[in-house]
This record gives sequence, structure tokens and C-alpha cells, in this order.
Amino acid sequence: MFSLPYSRNKRYLTGIDWIVHVLNYMTIKESGAGFMSQIVIEVSGNVNTSEIENPLNAFIKKHTIVNGYLSRDINLAPYWKIPPVKKPGISIDTAILKKDESFDVILKKLENGVNTLFKNKREHLAFHVLTGCGRSYIAMTFDHLLFDARNAEAFLNMFQKDWESGESSGQMTITEPAHLSMWMDKFKAGQRVNRAFFKIAGKEPPLVFPLPSGKNGFKFRILSFGRKETEAIAENAFNEAGYLMLMPYALAASVCALHGIFKGRGISSGDYVIPVSIDTRKQEEITKQLFFNHVSFLIFKAEASVASDFQALLKSIKEQMYTQVRSDLPGDICKASLLMRIAPASLLGRLLKIYFKGEIASFCFSYVGRTAYTSPHFMGNKITNIFHMPRTPVPPGIGIFFQQSNEKLNVILSYLDGMLSADEEEIILTSLKSRLGVE
Amino acid sequence: MDKESHKVIEESLIREVAAILSRDPGLIEPEIPLHEMGLDSLGFVELLVTIEKKFKIKLMESGLTRSDFRTIRSLSAKIGALG
Repeated sequence: MFSLPYSRNKRYLTGIDWIVHVLNYMTIKESGAGFMSQIVIEVSGNVNTSEIENPLNAFIKKHTIVNGYLSRDINLAPYWKIPPVKKPGISIDTAILKKDESFDVILKKLENGVNTLFKNKREHLAFHVLTGCGRSYIAMTFDHLLFDARNAEAFLNMFQKDWESGESSGQMTITEPAHLSMWMDKFKAGQRVNRAFFKIAGKEPPLVFPLPSGKNGFKFRILSFGRKETEAIAENAFNEAGYLMLMPYALAASVCALHGIFKGRGISSGDYVIPVSIDTRKQEEITKQLFFNHVSFLIFKAEASVASDFQALLKSIKEQMYTQVRSDLPGDICKASLLMRIAPASLLGRLLKIYFKGEIASFCFSYVGRTAYTSPHFMGNKITNIFHMPRTPVPPGIGIFFQQSNEKLNVILSYLDGMLSADEEEIILTSLKSRLGVE
Repeated sequence: MDKESHKVIEESLIREVAAILSRDPGLIEPEIPLHEMGLDSLGFVELLVTIEKKFKIKLMESGLTRSDFRTIRSLSAKIGALG
């Protein structure tokens, strides 16, 4: 069957989508599973998996895009091939929670889901339920090839709305042009990105944690702050960083926390390079752009020599943020990345390491302030928290992610098993809490 | 600064905030705190960049207080005073 340009069976990939494919390729190569993530909805009460399975399958059946896969057009532009028919339904793995089972044990069980490679190139979603003793965790493991974290929230939110109203939200038309015009614009953006990246890169490669040997899974630690603690963190951020400066404040706290580990290991040559993913959509656009990745990046450099001085670090991060927003670096990255789609993932993976002398970054970071899941319930059960468990791209294989779910702030440490010792993990969490002012 | 100029600055900021939040300018209330409208760190920096380009004032390093930044109205008043 032929797929014509703009046909309903194809959606061209943007440059950012292609970079996500490259990160997926690299992550599978290094760790055995891809650039996946998991959104976990924690609810009060027990849930009956069979009651979720049917409506979920009916909902997913309308979105055959979830079973799509990568292909290349005759014009060489990569696209997502959308099958006309949905393959047989999704099954949900279920496990029963025992009384007094600690959150650490629950987290271990949830880790299994996000560390399992999808069965084939057409599978991009998997569901897991842990339930029992009056609480439940509904986890959706998703492929970043299909969507970003906010879209995962929006996807489940749409499912919930359909379930509540008993009406179907209908099929979505998903199109994206091939972006095979305005080449000069893209080349100029590429020049500006090159200049910005080489300016950030120092003479030495950035500080990184050595990758552990073997195909390890990811480990996660989550700090969940209640309403009062979250308000206290916002107040501390205002006092130390200024009005609406939570993101730079959280990033500076994360650099400080990881710097302690580097210092403890005696690693000191080089500085920190941190890509920060940012949403390129407005809140209102999320439901219209429900699939694929609508993000770009700010790239920060934190000099190791100032990493112990929180105020100096904060000032530097704020200045870099201002400069990069002023020059529209995120917009240039989106445009320039369109040029990279011609390169196969294996080649582009190597090219991405040129800027920072064989490395990609010291660690990954993001701050998502508003959830796209707006309902207080999931299929009749009251939601007590929503958190994400993202597998960080490998390299660097470690990330710190801040994400707010209504009035709760979650801080997630994600790292490749073997990269940190249990003591180092504790030191990072203690340092983060201390730096955020909620010990 | 006269009332007329203050109004012009306020209307300009309303348009900018509406563009950042992808909303109809008619729905932007100048007395509602920016964070309650849904502006985050990135959106706020975008607004500061626009203010710098339009009014030639670098607010990031101006040492303004929380009350100065709190609403479009208070921000307009401060820009008017600094301009």
C-alpha cells in the first residue's frame, strides 16, 4: 500500500521527533531498553482491572497511531506510518499489594514495567496495575517515540473525559508537513545553534558519571512533597531566585546535589552541561497536539568552580536562561534539527557527541509546572498523586525531574542501575531536600 | 507618566501575556497575579525579554519586588516609572 504525502496513514516526523528516535536508538544500545517513560496515577481504593481493560481498549482502538512505526518517504523524510486497523487489544498486568507494603517496594514493582523493552516496533504502550489494601497505582508505560510526558497525561485525561461523559472524543486528524522548504532559514538556525553549543562547550568534556557495564535497568527515587511543603519550596524559590523562578531554582538545587557526589568521588576536571527540555506548546494546544514530541531545549553550563556557591550558580543559570530565550535558541534547535533527519540514527548519535567532546551531557533535567491531567478522579477513584518515572537517555543515564501534580511537587531521581551507590542516592535526596528548604 | 501612557503599556503587556499563554487578550485580567494565569518560569522570561525589546528596560536585574511583578497592572506602573 502506498502512503501519499499528507495521507491519513502518515505523519512526518519533526526534527525533535527524529532526535528522540536517535536517543531511543542510543538508549537501547547501551541499556537494552529504549527511551521510555511511565506515568503513574496513584488513587485511593482498590481497582478492578477488568473494569479498566474494556473502556481502555475501546479508547485506544480509536487511535491507531499508537501502533505506528518509523518509515522513510521517497523524499527521504522520516515519517510515522499509521496502520489503518488497530491490532488486538492491550492487556493489563496486575499485581496485588500486600498490607503495609512500603512505597520503596511498590516503586521496585513499578520499575519492572518501565524497564521492559516493548515486544515489537508497533508496541508503544503498556499498562500495569498494582492494587490492594485500599490503594492502587495505575501505570502507563509509554514510548517517547509516541509522545512526551505532558501528552501522556493529556492522553489519559482524554480517556477519563470520554469515560466520564460516556461519549467518544472522536478520531483525531494528525498531520505535519514534511518541512522540505525554507532551507536557508534552517541552515542559518543551524549556524546559530552550532555557535551557541561550541560557546557552552569548554576545552574539556563535561563532567559525567561513568556508565555501568552490562544492560542495566533504571532505578528511581521519588520525593513527594505535600501542599504545605510545595508552598514552602515556592516561597524559598521566590526569596532566593525571584518571582516565578522555580525552574532555575530547582536546576541550581539539582546541580548542587550532584556536585556533592562528583566532589566525593574526586572527579573535578570539566564543568556541568545540562539540557533542559521545555514544552513548546501552550496549555490550550495540548489536546490538539496529543501525539509526538512538542519540546525543545535550553542548554545550561554550570562551572564546577561555582557549583558550591548556590547564589552564584543561580545567577549564572538565570542569565543563561534569559540569553537563550532572548536569542530563541529553543526555536533554532527545532528548525536546525529538521536538517538532521537525513542522517541515520547510528550516525546522528555519533554526531551529537561532537559538541561536547564525546559526551552528550552531565545529566538531564526538566521542570513541568502544570499537569495536563485535570480530572481529580481516574475511573471513579480519587487521585492522590500523579508522578512520572522517565528513563533518562543513555548517555548520560541520569536525570532529575521536577513535576507538579495539582498541589503536590514530585522530584524524581532516575539513573541507570549501578551508576550510583545507595549512599550516594541518599546524599542526593538529602541535599535536594536541604537545598529546597524542606528537610 | 500620564494615564494615557500607562494604559498603552498595560494594553501592550496584555497582548504579550495573551500571546505567551495562547489566549484571547480579552480574557486577560490585568489585576490577576501572573502565576495564577498559568505563567511559568519560561513564560515569565519570555515576557521579560519582550519588555526589554519593547521598552528598553532589563527587569531581570532590576531588583523589583514581588508586588511589582505580581500583576500586569503593577508591572505596567513600574515600567512607566522606570521608562
